[in-house]
Amino acid sequence: MTESAGPPTMTERADTPLPQGLEVARRELAEHDHLPIVFEIGDLSAYYGDFRAVREVTLDVRQHEITALIGPSGCGKTTVLRCLNRMNDLIPGARTEGTLNYHGVPLYGSGIDPVEVRRRIGMVFQKPNPFPKSVYDNVAYGPRLFGIKKRAQLDEVVETSLHKAALWDEVKDRMKDSAMGLSGGQQQRLCIARAIATDPEVVLMDEPCSALDPIATARIEDLMQEIKEEFTIVIVTHNMQQAARVSDATAFFSTEVNPESDRRTGRLVEFDRTETIFSNPSDERTENYITGRFG
Amino acid sequence: MTTEPTPIPLRTAFQAELEQLRLQVELMGVRVDQNLELMREALQSGDEHLMDQAFKSDDEIDAMHVSLLERCYQLLNREAPVASDLRFVVSVVRILSEFERVGDLALRILKLTRQVADLATCGAPWDIALTMVDLAVEQYRTALRAWSAQDLGLASQLADQRPPAEAYHERLLAELRRLRGPDSAAMAMGVYIIGQAADRIADHAAIIGARLRYLITGEPAHLAAEVR
Repeated sequence: MTESAGPPTMTERADTPLPQGLEVARRELAEHDHLPIVFEIGDLSAYYGDFRAVREVTLDVRQHEITALIGPSGCGKTTVLRCLNRMNDLIPGARTEGTLNYHGVPLYGSGIDPVEVRRRIGMVFQKPNPFPKSVYDNVAYGPRLFGIKKRAQLDEVVETSLHKAALWDEVKDRMKDSAMGLSGGQQQRLCIARAIATDPEVVLMDEPCSALDPIATARIEDLMQEIKEEFTIVIVTHNMQQAARVSDATAFFSTEVNPESDRRTGRLVEFDRTETIFSNPSDERTENYITGRFG
Repeated sequence: MTTEPTPIPLRTAFQAELEQLRLQVELMGVRVDQNLELMREALQSGDEHLMDQAFKSDDEIDAMHVSLLERCYQLLNREAPVASDLRFVVSVVRILSEFERVGDLALRILKLTRQVADLATCGAPWDIALTMVDLAVEQYRTALRAWSAQDLGLASQLADQRPPAEAYHERLLAELRRLRGPDSAAMAMGVYIIGQAADRIADHAAIIGARLRYLITGEPAHLAAEVR
């Protein structure tokens, strides 16, 4: 399954006739094949200077799905995530090779405005990073940047975004308070509200729960399920159970070592439906990683 | 030129627990097999001591069943296994229950030990019932060997082949219908219980095979084959 254009359909996996109930389930599972592709990634390599951080990644991210990128530290999953909204442009010497299309348009093509890319493809980071401003100004920051000036319009965007981020009820009476006074979980949901306030299509999440307690984590995971009807989500996580709980498709990355330089390059090992990855992965390396047998 | 880093074994205690669980399940399967042998001996000799011995042994089998089930629940709770580890633990839960049912079916036959001398006088039906018992025990032993070696070939054989005892079922019924005389109804009932229990034992062996095949391959179609 390594580096194929996409996960196999359930139809390809088993030709044996199934009982009626299971046939229905299989048809439902195959529905994802018809969801539009948001990101088409083909043979993507990412470099920092002359160092290739990750190589030859091929996978499709489909609309209104949660795609999880998992793998050990240094396997390049965050690098790939940051390629998806050109966040790596901010790092000197960073470049990509291969195909990275967003709705069929090369994301790194000439004439593509990285700012517009980041408006359409928002990001939530590992640690909650609210601006040292009020709750309201944090959420209104992006919309203001993109030209919304009228107070009534801003009010509506802020309230809608906070509702979507399941934070409105907790902060509606504290809109002018500093965001730094919120709890860690609230701060992360505020960052999600800030990310979706610019009306993006995709939300990238880089280990969004790693700094949160279990309750705050559960709230973010619930939130992801709620907002995926409206957004497409790509998440990097070290938490296997989280990937299994929240995602529809999972990509497992691993590393290769250059014995001369001792530098590690990430590569995609397997990409498939999450239920397949966590029940019957095709590659032994995936099995060893997700079961925790080898690291 | 790059190479993959050498994997470091992790969760070794958990892996050891899984291996120990596999052996304990095998041990329970062997205990059930011993009762099946007592059952066969009792059908030959009518010795009631064998029945008593098997009943005592079955209490221990039941206790093992409960203890191993608890261990499975603990592993699910504590280790949150996935992929082949998860398939292994849930398969153990299923296979334990199959072993336990086979043990109960052996007791069902053993309860007829006192009537063996009478039942044996009915001729052909008795011979067919004993053949069914032999085939069922053989089928069960194949399942036990498959589990012990985690053998996909044997598992598939059990899952795909029609249980051999099944072919004797109609013949048994036909022969029982021919029985005549004042005790024929009671005799037919006793022999039929033996034949039917043997048939069920073979079915349970086939389910163990199907479950083991799914455990090894993880193919959804093999899970579906098991529930059919």
